Amino acid sequence: MTEMQGLIAGMLLLFALVVYTFWPENAFASQKEKTRLDYLLERKEQLYENLRDLNFEYRAGKYPEEDFQAQRALLEHETAQLLAEIERMQA
Amino acid sequence: MAAFGSFCLLIGLALAAYNLLAGALALRLLATGQPARISPERLADTARRAGIAGFIAVTGAAFALVWSVFTNDFSITYIVEHSNRALPIAYKFAALWSGQEGSLLLWAWLLGTYGFVLRLRHKTDVKLYAYAGTILAGIQVFFLLLLNFAAPPFSLLKGAIPDDGNGLNPLLQYPEMVIHPPMLYLGYVGFSVPFAFALGALMMRYPGEKWIRITRTWTMVTWLFLTCGIFLGMHWAYAVLGWGGYWGWDPVENASFMPWLTGTAFLHSVMMQERKGMMKSWNVWLIFSTFLLTLLGTLLTRAGLVSSVHAFAQSSIGTWFIVFMAIVIAVCIFAYVYQRGHLKTEHQLESLVSRESSFLFNNLVLLTACFVILWGTLFPILSEYVEGSKVTVGAPFYNRVAVPIGLFLLFLTGVGPLLPWRSTSLRAIKRNFVLPVIALWAMVIVCLVAGANPWKGGMFDSGRFYALVAFALSAAVTTAIVAEFLRGATVIARQTGRNLFAALWLLTRRNTRRYGGYLVHIGVVIVVVGLAGSAFNRNLESELGMHGSMSIGPYTLVNNSFTQDTNDNYNSEYAVLDVYKGGKNVFQMTPEKRFYLASGQPQTMVAIHSTPEWDLYVVYEGTNPDTGQPIIKAFLNPLVGWIWFGLAVIVLGTFVALVPSLTPATAALRVPAARGVQAEPVLKGGD
Repeated sequence: MTEMQGLIAGMLLLFALVVYTFWPENAFASQKEKTRLDYLLERKEQLYENLRDLNFEYRAGKYPEEDFQAQRALLEHETAQLLAEIERMQA
Repeated sequence: MAAFGSFCLLIGLALAAYNLLAGALALRLLATGQPARISPERLADTARRAGIAGFIAVTGAAFALVWSVFTNDFSITYIVEHSNRALPIAYKFAALWSGQEGSLLLWAWLLGTYGFVLRLRHKTDVKLYAYAGTILAGIQVFFLLLLNFAAPPFSLLKGAIPDDGNGLNPLLQYPEMVIHPPMLYLGYVGFSVPFAFALGALMMRYPGEKWIRITRTWTMVTWLFLTCGIFLGMHWAYAVLGWGGYWGWDPVENASFMPWLTGTAFLHSVMMQERKGMMKSWNVWLIFSTFLLTLLGTLLTRAGLVSSVHAFAQSSIGTWFIVFMAIVIAVCIFAYVYQRGHLKTEHQLESLVSRESSFLFNNLVLLTACFVILWGTLFPILSEYVEGSKVTVGAPFYNRVAVPIGLFLLFLTGVGPLLPWRSTSLRAIKRNFVLPVIALWAMVIVCLVAGANPWKGGMFDSGRFYALVAFALSAAVTTAIVAEFLRGATVIARQTGRNLFAALWLLTRRNTRRYGGYLVHIGVVIVVVGLAGSAFNRNLESELGMHGSMSIGPYTLVNNSFTQDTNDNYNSEYAVLDVYKGGKNVFQMTPEKRFYLASGQPQTMVAIHSTPEWDLYVVYEGTNPDTGQPIIKAFLNPLVGWIWFGLAVIVLGTFVALVPSLTPATAALRVPAARGVQAEPVLKGGD
């Protein structure tokens, strides 16, 4: 490829890329603001997962009974608080 | 092609600059709600598309360079310096990253590729991706500025065009070198993505930890590339440098190891943030540091700041890198100080004996190791600056510090999974630690009986002592992990009536991240066993005349012949050695020395016979000028093969962890009703 051919190929590429970049497009994705409710719903999933893990590890024999009960009470309390806030926001 | 390549780089720079400026302006307009003549969202979308277009332009430049190598276009200085006509095809690709300009182009192209994928997936979270894409564009602007003005790969040769080039550095003409640098660069460049997401999430005060889930795959894939890159580099050093080892604490090796350490710390501590909203500031700084260390690694490899067998370029781009790193640090500090209120922890550490604390210790130990290595690596530069003379820190310094740290990490690898979240009672500790402790002491006894004791010739040997500790801890950690698998599988077998193997499979499918992670830990244990084997290395050097012999371990090497060969690329001398074991001829080895014609440089090609027990490693060191007879150096390196096998297990474990988990069919959760519970926003974070 000669220098002139290289420059022409480069110009063509530039033209194609500029057209692609600035082509009027109305179907672009809008930037939705994430709310606290979205955050709480994500957190709820995580707390459920933590509870599932705790139950599984207990059944696998990793926790003595009293440790398990104490841990579960703490997690359930946290989950209940979160559910209450979700309910209040959704009301 | 030179004109086309240069033009593509200019287009790439213009598009990356537009992506950065338009993207930043759009995000600013959206954040402040200021009125503008163009919709900020439309502006942000043109910025995103400029990022995609920029990738195509940089791909054009990379293609132009590869094309020039393959067509032997010696009008380009880079091609003259890094290729020649007789270079085999695979190594023509290697020429792309064998020099500074080419490797910077590879950096920019890989960054463009990561950015391309990221921008295509922007609908996952449009705003967060817009921040991340704009930050990536900022990094791309830097690399394209370098490529356009400081290290242009397409600069033309002044004067007459030569018929042939100088050829590729002989050290790079080895199969691993075709994949090791791209792997390492995929790792280095890949950390730009979690960095961009972390910085973007901080700048926009992203509510919650979803950005971590979004970047999890990126981070794990990047970590895997870096891990493979480091191990391939080790194997290359082992097979090519001919000193019998694989890790010499060379500054460039260290430069790749440091981001691996902080990246590994991030992969662990980020779980605390996801599960409990803890260690947010810590994680942000871990990923900032990891990215900065990848830049430092590139700087050390490419700017010639330190002496290294791995540093293949010396130049003045160091100032550019230092300025860019200063800008990155300033941006990170500013974003952190301005938005630190967003990073308040949601929970406190409840107990020093818990899964959380094991992650914390793991992080502290990894960071201590990183700091020690950073200090040792930069010490020659600092000493030259302060005292005017370069003081180099050698392997004994690193080994003295890194080996105990590594063993403590191995200990944590076993302890962590056994500790429950939040806190642990003494009863739970007793219950979970009995088997690993039995395995530990059983291994100590086995090692002592087998002769792997800390005494050598009646003297205490610290290397052998550490090896003994490593073997014992490896047994304990393996037992702990296997017990974890069996405990979980037993529960599933009980619940579903499946046999143990089917239950193990289902257990892993249900929580791929955890059990894939455990497989990675088993891989690490196997690697540690391989590394510990080096305490028992032996070597012997001898001049071998025709039919002369030397013995090492169970092997006897007999010189069958000594000959020469030639081809278009190099001349070579090699010895043909028959290897006997127990009086039987078991195999043949041909250690070689090559003399590359284009570069005029010699290169050792080591002969290696690998078994699970040990490697027989033979180096042809040349001929004795007085007698004309070949000099052979033989090494017997125990357990080296375990290192490469451990890598395979690490790769397998990471792949398992990357597969999405099955959701349990039944989630038997008993959560109290929400009513009647205090309805205040008691959960911190997410604001």
